[in-house]
Amino acid sequence: MSVHALHKHESIEKAQPHLEVVPNLVRELGGITHLLTCGSVDDGKSTLIGRLLWDASDLYEDQRENVRRSGRKAAGTDLPDFSMLLDGLVAEREQGITIDIAWKYFDTDTRRFVIIDSPGHEQYTRNMASGASHADVAIVLVDARSGVKKQTKRHTAILDLVGVKHVVLAVNKMDLVGWSEDVFRKIEADFRTLCWKFNFWDATAIPLSAVFGDNVSAASENMSWYSGPTLIQHLEKTPSRVSEAGSVFRFPVQTVLRDGLDFRGLAGTVTSGSVKVGDVVVDTLSNASGKVIRIATMDGDLESASAGQAVALQLDVDIDVSRGAVLSAPEMRPVAAQTVEARFVWLSEDEFSPTAGYLLRTSTDLVPISNIEIKGLLDLETMASRPARACAANDIAIAKISLGRAAAIDVFTETPETGTLLLVDSITGATMAGGIATSVNSKAEQPVDGHFVLKRDMLANGLNRDLSMSSKDREEFMRRANEVAIILRSAGVSVAIEPPPPLDDGMDPGL
Amino acid sequence: MTASPSHLDLLESESIHIFREAAAQFRKPVLMYSIGKDSTVLLHLARKAFFPQPVPFPLLHVDTKWKFKDMIAFRDRTARELGLELIVHTNEDGIKRGINPIDHAPSIHTDVLKTQALKQALDKYGFDAAFGGARRDEEASRAKERVFSFRASGHRWDPRKQRPEMWHLLNGRLGTGETVRVFPMSNWTEKDVWRYILREKLEVVPLYYAAERPTIVRNGQILMQDDERLQPREGEKVEMRKIRFRTLGDYPLTAAVESDAETIEAVVAETINAQTSERQGRLIDHDQAGAMEKKKQEGYF
Repeated sequence: MSVHALHKHESIEKAQPHLEVVPNLVRELGGITHLLTCGSVDDGKSTLIGRLLWDASDLYEDQRENVRRSGRKAAGTDLPDFSMLLDGLVAEREQGITIDIAWKYFDTDTRRFVIIDSPGHEQYTRNMASGASHADVAIVLVDARSGVKKQTKRHTAILDLVGVKHVVLAVNKMDLVGWSEDVFRKIEADFRTLCWKFNFWDATAIPLSAVFGDNVSAASENMSWYSGPTLIQHLEKTPSRVSEAGSVFRFPVQTVLRDGLDFRGLAGTVTSGSVKVGDVVVDTLSNASGKVIRIATMDGDLESASAGQAVALQLDVDIDVSRGAVLSAPEMRPVAAQTVEARFVWLSEDEFSPTAGYLLRTSTDLVPISNIEIKGLLDLETMASRPARACAANDIAIAKISLGRAAAIDVFTETPETGTLLLVDSITGATMAGGIATSVNSKAEQPVDGHFVLKRDMLANGLNRDLSMSSKDREEFMRRANEVAIILRSAGVSVAIEPPPPLDDGMDPGL
Repeated sequence: MTASPSHLDLLESESIHIFREAAAQFRKPVLMYSIGKDSTVLLHLARKAFFPQPVPFPLLHVDTKWKFKDMIAFRDRTARELGLELIVHTNEDGIKRGINPIDHAPSIHTDVLKTQALKQALDKYGFDAAFGGARRDEEASRAKERVFSFRASGHRWDPRKQRPEMWHLLNGRLGTGETVRVFPMSNWTEKDVWRYILREKLEVVPLYYAAERPTIVRNGQILMQDDERLQPREGEKVEMRKIRFRTLGDYPLTAAVESDAETIEAVVAETINAQTSERQGRLIDHDQAGAMEKKKQEGYF
């Protein structure tokens, strides 16, 4: 049954509550999509989320009835005020919680959606970055009357920073611009230009009206010129991060499980790639390796395990590996990093202090930091950095870190799950900042100009000459570049992939 | 495994990941076991997380002495059959003072026999982490709850001390006097819990299934007369009704629904088609505005 049909048949379902659903009782949904909504209340964010819930989800009847009975109408219309469905969450805003993210769940016929809602006020950088770090796809909401704004630019920059790969520009309130195709195409073009600067795999603009429901779950009759998907159709096709995790095997060891003398299992979740019985795996920190002889779960042993699966690996030799290790294939290892360059979103109310005594939290390791320096702050509107020595809440800081001992870390843009970091205050335990590794080096002193740089032109003319500019091919472009970088790095070459061009060329200066 | 894991597979893996993170980072964890369906799933996930090793922490049940008899029998049998260490704690002082859910407001009863009792037990045994089955979908005040939810000394929940959680990184480094509540099922929904019970063929307390039971209707809610302590008031009478429970707690505070669902399949069908969200049956939530919010600050969760 389509989403559309679900809405229409509501009354029929009520009439015969049991029989219809019994055949797919244990119906398991085809996956989970974590959805971040960015935008301010003025852009119609609550109305859009409310409309999604109303049209496409499995809301309880008492929740629907509340909306109908309230008599509250969307501004200037005779339609129910769908933003009411979020009222509970809005009231809870007064908790004063430091990072303020609300989670809401709904199911369509094929997928579980998790709405991650972060407030749009001025403290939004850290809130949004925190929420976006969990998102598979982000809806960036703009008002059709004002189009792409500075705020849109900052939002997309944050999404890119924390690794969101799929972005939807919801051009809302199309009813207020007379459903004009010209208005939409102009905004769409601005958005394309903006997104070209980032590493998104898919950036789609959809014209809609949250109040009237046009192109939310039902195709708009007012915009016959638009032939693309509705918002919900598009979201249902968006893959999750875990399903798009790269092919490079990573297994951060969480803990060691024992059962008598015969079983010593390395417990963890495969964060990318896959592993099968017979594979040789290595711990890059100790250089110890072994062959996987058993992949254990309570539901029986597996032949292989892939990204997202929580398992326990038993090796043929009893190597001294414990929490903090990241298992990989011998030829595709993470770096046993002594120095890390990273971009951090500063989350804490307390400012950076060079003498505070921070720890670096990696996938499963917690490592003392022997030296940390802030090199600069990133301007989210231009993506240019300016020199700085300090940083505070909501800043994006570029930092250079020397570790007290080596830790297994990847470059985030290549192998995201094992390239994420937290900065932890060693005394209070507080999480000061969340960040991504941009460069990792196994040597204690990193040569400043020693990088081999994989240039985009060079890759485009050779290795990637068969690829077009489509989003699928851009994804493939990055995948190949990442694999080359990983191979070179495993061979001891310090390597970086040329970053996308800076933001200041060809852009409308008003953006 | 199929190529594309289902949403239940993903939720299960996430919960296992959280259990392992907590067990590795905290010195002395405990699983808050409340016997209901969420606890049943929570315990099952804990067993999966550490298989083939036994669950490496005890279960803690805070017994108010007002639980349904079937719950206590189920609790004891589960612990025995799975070979788990079970700690049962009651606030004996509160019992001596005669606090009970029939004569006292639910808020007082809950504070003394649940909230205070839980704090006593955590302090008595020195647990630094307690696993709970709470879910973000349960109601609005939980929608922002963290997976690792920190408590300052005295178990107080301080909104400003809650740590941001990014990606899958769970920071469990405790400050002085801090403890933590861990919620491995944060991202599950009520429907997921039931679907998972059906898929994994888990046994739950029989009270979840419809049967003829002695009932009293009070304030429009159906209560079960589980023992002689609950007596009809003027104008009320004890009548047999075919009922079941959507949530389980202290029996005088837990409303039943009339139902014919006698099997797990029928219960799941009823839940999936439910027209109202589950907490309508939990009387303590209606006691005062913002009830759950207040209880959370006081350390109930």
